[in-house]
Amino acid sequence: MNPFREDLVSRSRPEPCSIVIFGATGDLTHRKLIPALYNLAVDGELPTGVKIIGFARREKSDAEFRAGLDELNRKVSRSGHDDEIWDSFIQTVSYHTSEFTDPDGYRRLAEKLDAIDAERGGKGNRLFYIASAPEFFDEILIALKNAGLNEAKPGCWARVIVEKPFGTDLATAKHLNQVVNDTFHESDTYRIDHYLGKETAQNLMVLRFANSIFEPLWNSKYISHIQITCAENLGMEGGRGGYYEKSGALRDMVQNHLLQLLSLVAMEPPTDLSADGVRDEKVKVIRSLRQWDTREKVAKNVVRAQYTAGHIDGTAVPGYRQEDRVSPTSETEAYVAVRLLIDTWRWSGVPFYIRMGKRLPKKSTEISVHFKDAPCVLFNALSGGVPGGNVLVIRIQPDEGISLRMVSKIPGTSLRLEPVKMDFHYSTSFGKGSPEAYERLLLDAIAGDATLFARRDEVEEAWKFIDHIERAWHESDSPPVMAEFVAGSWGPKEADELLQQDGNAWRRL
Amino acid sequence: MGTHGAGFEMGESTPYFLPKLSHMTAPLDSIPAICPELGIEVPVAIIERELHKLWEQDDATTNASLMNLVVYSEKAGALIENSAIIRELTREHACRAILVGIDRHEPEPTLRAWITAHCHLADGRKSVCCEQIAFHLTGRVTGRFRNTVFAHLNSDLPLIFWWQGELSEILTERLVSVIDRLVIDSSSWADPAASFTMIEEASQANPDLIIQDHAWTRSWQFRIGIASLFDDPIAQEALPEIHAVEITYHPAHRNTALQVLAWLAVQAGWKDAVTDAGWAFESSHGKAISLKLSEDASGPPLSSLVIRENRTSVQVTQKAGSSHVERQVETAGYKASSLSPIDPTSPADLVAIQLSRGGKNSLYQKMLPRFRGLLVK
Repeated sequence: MNPFREDLVSRSRPEPCSIVIFGATGDLTHRKLIPALYNLAVDGELPTGVKIIGFARREKSDAEFRAGLDELNRKVSRSGHDDEIWDSFIQTVSYHTSEFTDPDGYRRLAEKLDAIDAERGGKGNRLFYIASAPEFFDEILIALKNAGLNEAKPGCWARVIVEKPFGTDLATAKHLNQVVNDTFHESDTYRIDHYLGKETAQNLMVLRFANSIFEPLWNSKYISHIQITCAENLGMEGGRGGYYEKSGALRDMVQNHLLQLLSLVAMEPPTDLSADGVRDEKVKVIRSLRQWDTREKVAKNVVRAQYTAGHIDGTAVPGYRQEDRVSPTSETEAYVAVRLLIDTWRWSGVPFYIRMGKRLPKKSTEISVHFKDAPCVLFNALSGGVPGGNVLVIRIQPDEGISLRMVSKIPGTSLRLEPVKMDFHYSTSFGKGSPEAYERLLLDAIAGDATLFARRDEVEEAWKFIDHIERAWHESDSPPVMAEFVAGSWGPKEADELLQQDGNAWRRL
Repeated sequence: MGTHGAGFEMGESTPYFLPKLSHMTAPLDSIPAICPELGIEVPVAIIERELHKLWEQDDATTNASLMNLVVYSEKAGALIENSAIIRELTREHACRAILVGIDRHEPEPTLRAWITAHCHLADGRKSVCCEQIAFHLTGRVTGRFRNTVFAHLNSDLPLIFWWQGELSEILTERLVSVIDRLVIDSSSWADPAASFTMIEEASQANPDLIIQDHAWTRSWQFRIGIASLFDDPIAQEALPEIHAVEITYHPAHRNTALQVLAWLAVQAGWKDAVTDAGWAFESSHGKAISLKLSEDASGPPLSSLVIRENRTSVQVTQKAGSSHVERQVETAGYKASSLSPIDPTSPADLVAIQLSRGGKNSLYQKMLPRFRGLLVK
């Protein structure tokens, strides 16, 4: 116990450690991980004595590696680039050249880590961040085990952070989980989903459980339905088509990010804020999803689509099948809409709709909670009724905030009603920018707090749900149709019909 | 934004209609009816109506407020200085600002008021504005002051009361009862022991009152630096055997140094002790801990805090003129250090930090009795 930590920082104790990043020459390391660690240093949150080792195949010297990091940090760092702090920080960063499968490379890494530990009297904590291409995950984990690097020294810890995608289906996820758990204890495994590190996602629990006005209404008695939208206006720029062709919208976004958001919205209050307290409740939601386990159920509850050529922001954009590195006969969905039902007492009969699409009109991720209409008396009995029910919108990105739509009387002698909006914007209420998701998540992993990381059962339950849909699409004799929509529109008409069958409509963003 | 006369004042990224004063120490009685810093003078009875007009003139703005921030000063020229501070503060902390300038030595009781709004672009798009009401009171003011402030608070929002300078009898029980957060700077007090007695009385009158002391905030990076260094198992192992604490401070910031010592003692469970060399601490298992306090008039409020054990030392230092604090842990054959930003020094930055952190400030309350004990040593 550290008596001086009381009240200064609420999280667990982040101890000095060696951080080894696999895939150190990649975009994630340069654009996200190193700037996040640097910003932690700027905020004084990075423990003194942390050492960072970049592990990758390309031949580089420490100086070359540092120069590349310096160049990009100047462009992307949230808090700017303070030369003095950077110079101090970058001295802790070194580069290690090795193939991911080369035992000698891991032996040399172990020697390097032991040398760092020797300075500290032989003790040292280790955090391995696997940010390489997913096909190397297995090999890296096995090589770490073979080199004995998975075992913590007495009184120390060894942890691993695994980037998404965590498998490509239930079988591969189970396999990867097995490899991970054969190498590291589950309690030392941190499956990262950066959506959970976003300020608004973290605020979801606060909104629900720290405000007494919402929770009594948060159930099937008062809520008509809930929509979760992740809209992107980008397509397959920068060669993303190659990756996307193998994943598609469902596996790329729904299986992880959007189901995680769903579980935060729908979960029961946890017994405490411990990692397992929160994750126990989240996994119950995913486990309670009604399974779309036949082709007919998938056809009725899921819509997949590709975009055709269109315009976004006045610029002509190609159709999905004409995109770079995309097959002209591709059967990969660039848009997906799913109707979900959660078979719990709280959510019985309340549909949840998730949609994710590329080349939609704008970039926006939000959760909207649509409340039931007021009883059909008084104002509802007037001609025209009440214009729309109450909607609580939680904006995840951009323009993070919360708004509530309600009905108000238009000033005047006659009784006319209009919807009005109460709006809260993080940026106007709290001028200070939020930390990047990776900053929070990296610090949590160093401190041993797994609350914002996915647990094995969460990942596998999510894949179980997704696999049924993938099978209906790709293994059925008569798969559900691939719908189309014009790039720059809000998706295919089939997605609109998905909600119309329940008497609902997508929220206009 | 148009060039209307109601008093909107934009941040540097957009045009504003009134010229800024280059020198902000005008005496209070010289404040004109239309003042670039304070806005336009309005009759006190119609302040809210005039503020409302301000918003009606332009619909491209958002009126934002998370709190009522009252800034109280009896210093001549403080209204204009504080308006400049509020302009900066409102970039990150949306509030209704109520500035109060008092001249109690004027025999004639008067009350004047000005209104304006500080506007900044949010995300380079939306203009977000915060209202400011400035009051200048002369003569005997206690009751008038309190009622004037009460009448212009935004309902339901917390009241942050920033008291500048020495405390006075105006800090009455009735005033304290409505304050959520009282911001003070104990370093500016001539007799801290007596003033902290008033603070104790205020806390008794309003048990929910949160005290935020600039003197305490100035030591933030030092305290978080020490806390962070003791996360290291090497430093943790040394904790029971600590035998010396050395602290170097600027003479004007003795309170900050004593508060840090009190914090260390309270958190580590050290008792007070007296030795031949003066006062000292004693660990929970009887180990003597010597104290060395040194002044450095050329340095920052705190320039060094060193905690020593036989083999290990933990230190946080800030060199004069440096923009960074260095943390260091050293033991036989091993030394690790890192840099972090320095604590702010300007009142506006200190208040901004205090507003950002929120919370109950319970550690300050916990440390306070021990600190008051050190004050009279």
